[in-house]
Amino acid sequence: MLGMGLAHAATKNLPTAKASRATAPAPVAPKDADGVAEARLIEIYTLIGKAQNRQALVKATSLVQDLPHFQLAQLVYGDLLTAQTRPIRTLGDMPDDLARRAPSVLNELREESHRRIKALRERPPAGAIPSQFLALSQRSRHAIAVDASRSRLYLFENTASGLNLVSDYYISVGKAGISKVTEGDQRTPLGVYYITSNLDRKSLKDFYGSGALPINYPNILDTRRGKTGSGIWLHGTPPNQFSRPPQATDGCVVLANPDLDHIIRTVEVQTTPVVIANQLQWVAPHSARSDGKSFEDALMAWRNAKTSGNLDHILSYYTPDFTSNGKTLAQWTPTLKTELSKVQGRTIQLKDVSYLRWTDSTDTMVVTFGEVAEGFRTGWTKRQYWMRQGNQWKIFFEGTM
Amino acid sequence: MGSLLHAQDCKGFMKHARSTVFQPLRLLTLVAAMFAGNAFADEYSDVSQLVRAGKLTEALTKADQYLAAKPKDPQMRFIKGVIQRDSGKTSEAIGTFTRLTEDYPELPEPYNNLAVLYAGQSQYDKARTALEMAIRTNPSYATAHENLGDVYAKLASQAYNKALQLDNSNAAVAPKLALIRELFSASGAKGQRPAPVPAAAAPAPAPLPPVAVKPPPTLPTQAVAKAPPAPVAAPAPVVAPTVTAPAAAAPTPAPASAPVAPAAGNSTREAEAAVKAWANAWAAKDMKTYLASYGKEFDPPGSMSRSQWEAERRQRIGSKNNISIKLENVAVTVEGSKATARFRQDYKASGLAVSSRKTLDLVKTGDRWQIVKESTGN
Repeated sequence: MLGMGLAHAATKNLPTAKASRATAPAPVAPKDADGVAEARLIEIYTLIGKAQNRQALVKATSLVQDLPHFQLAQLVYGDLLTAQTRPIRTLGDMPDDLARRAPSVLNELREESHRRIKALRERPPAGAIPSQFLALSQRSRHAIAVDASRSRLYLFENTASGLNLVSDYYISVGKAGISKVTEGDQRTPLGVYYITSNLDRKSLKDFYGSGALPINYPNILDTRRGKTGSGIWLHGTPPNQFSRPPQATDGCVVLANPDLDHIIRTVEVQTTPVVIANQLQWVAPHSARSDGKSFEDALMAWRNAKTSGNLDHILSYYTPDFTSNGKTLAQWTPTLKTELSKVQGRTIQLKDVSYLRWTDSTDTMVVTFGEVAEGFRTGWTKRQYWMRQGNQWKIFFEGTM
Repeated sequence: MGSLLHAQDCKGFMKHARSTVFQPLRLLTLVAAMFAGNAFADEYSDVSQLVRAGKLTEALTKADQYLAAKPKDPQMRFIKGVIQRDSGKTSEAIGTFTRLTEDYPELPEPYNNLAVLYAGQSQYDKARTALEMAIRTNPSYATAHENLGDVYAKLASQAYNKALQLDNSNAAVAPKLALIRELFSASGAKGQRPAPVPAAAAPAPAPLPPVAVKPPPTLPTQAVAKAPPAPVAAPAPVVAPTVTAPAAAAPTPAPASAPVAPAAGNSTREAEAAVKAWANAWAAKDMKTYLASYGKEFDPPGSMSRSQWEAERRQRIGSKNNISIKLENVAVTVEGSKATARFRQDYKASGLAVSSRKTLDLVKTGDRWQIVKESTGN
């Protein structure tokens, strides 16, 4: 039962995010589809790389006509126009008096360009998945992983055969970078989160673009660590900016509107995990499975203890500073007893088990499953947070969803 | 005469007669028709003189009278468009030139003037399209190339402003594009950039054939191209290997490095040295030496006096940041005190790169070889 892992995750390794979308001859994507703007930009870069400046200019002209607020496209368009009259030395080779009027904006655009290219050049290894996704049940149809160092968001489809990378997008994070700790620090949090809701764009200011998907920052681990702040969303861009610089937000993860649109239409609230890491580690699915083995054993042992009904034995799986929605372990123990009395020694089954690992100074696991006793038609959907203490995994949070 | 520079100066000059082999048959007929009778040419020059004298209303009346009898006549329609433009009737002028491009799509001049009008309305994308059409029509059309260079620069500036999200309102000033005053001018009308054409009629200068234009410079790989994900075949930056008169060359006559044909006599060597010195002076913007390269017998183009021509040369050359003149395949023949130098001239400056065949006729006065005639083409 626990083995429902990430077998045969077959991600593709293709040159651009958009190209990885389909193996069949791709129908021409509408111009406002997700990823198209970047694909068009990269096509222009590629033409420049082949010294086909004339053709590149034709494409750039069309791109800025369609997306006049795509600043990086305007920058490249300006360069290609300039290249008609003199050689270009660097991206954004504009007259000095112009560059001096907004040096930071120019640098940000160069950085945006650099990160877009880097993310497209250095693709995740074929078939690999972020190391956090040790097991993802079919309850999660999709998963999201953000690599802040690459300014990239990866969208996965969770199929019966495992996680498939379906597309990836340029994103912006906090002005002050990552590792959010306190409210107002303009940093983007790092950790394992879930999308909690889908905010209607009509209720939002234009600033948020095509919508917003809040995530559950601060999560249990964050709160335990005393982190503060709220309102961390995935959201879109304002009408005057197609994309924003790599570090531009108050802590949110910001995508171009067509990209966010696609995500909003694709993912589900509550069940879609969002892993935000400084740098994602990409591992083969079988490697993730064996990584998860020791934890899987611990989870099975907890299930067996609960099946046996021995309260002390069960409580040995919980940390002394365990909490459950404000209750201490002592305060929560009656809840556990009530559960045990309902089950009455029947075998506990864990269904649709997901566990996502988050490792920084502590090795933690965010676990979600359905807990059903044999003979019962329904049970509880539970979320637990585990941490590794030495070579023992212990629960420091448990709650029903 | 008709050096490259003069080509860009003499913006009304494009003579199609010399390039008919490259043009559709239709243009051939057209040109033949244009020059069929002197009476027509007189009508044109009458109207043009009225325009130059600032009598726009009279000029328009006369043009309309003429067009009543010959409504299709491209030359008079063209002149009418110029009159409308000069009278500030921009949209009417746009209409006139647009219809000319529709009726005579093989003519670059109406496209050029359309571009001037669009640019005047800050419609630089339309101006660019029109100029690109002009160049497609006649790839060696120097006026359109130079205007296009200005339009590219303006569009680039706008794009950079948008990239940086700067307020564009006080950004770079509008470029002043060169308007063509007449089609197939028999009297050598010139563009008005920037000096107004003197009203006096002048003997026709030598026809000015189109000049070959180099492809625009490419973006070097190490620039933006460093970034793209695709495997990159390193394109060579546009650097011509043969450099005989780099921009930094000393403005002294007869540079010591000038290669000398082994069998050349003294006269040939001297004449060739004079040509090199002329090119060096041009590239170095050494106006004294440059202008002194031209003899007293030199006939300025169009109706310009020598002093007007010199003033224009000073303005033109002085306004460029970097001029590079490269001469290739220089062949000099000498007969007594006369010499002819033929060569390929690669000119680059401020957004314009033009390669053309050029012929200089020189005459020896005392111990100096001086230019008496400058023409483009073979």
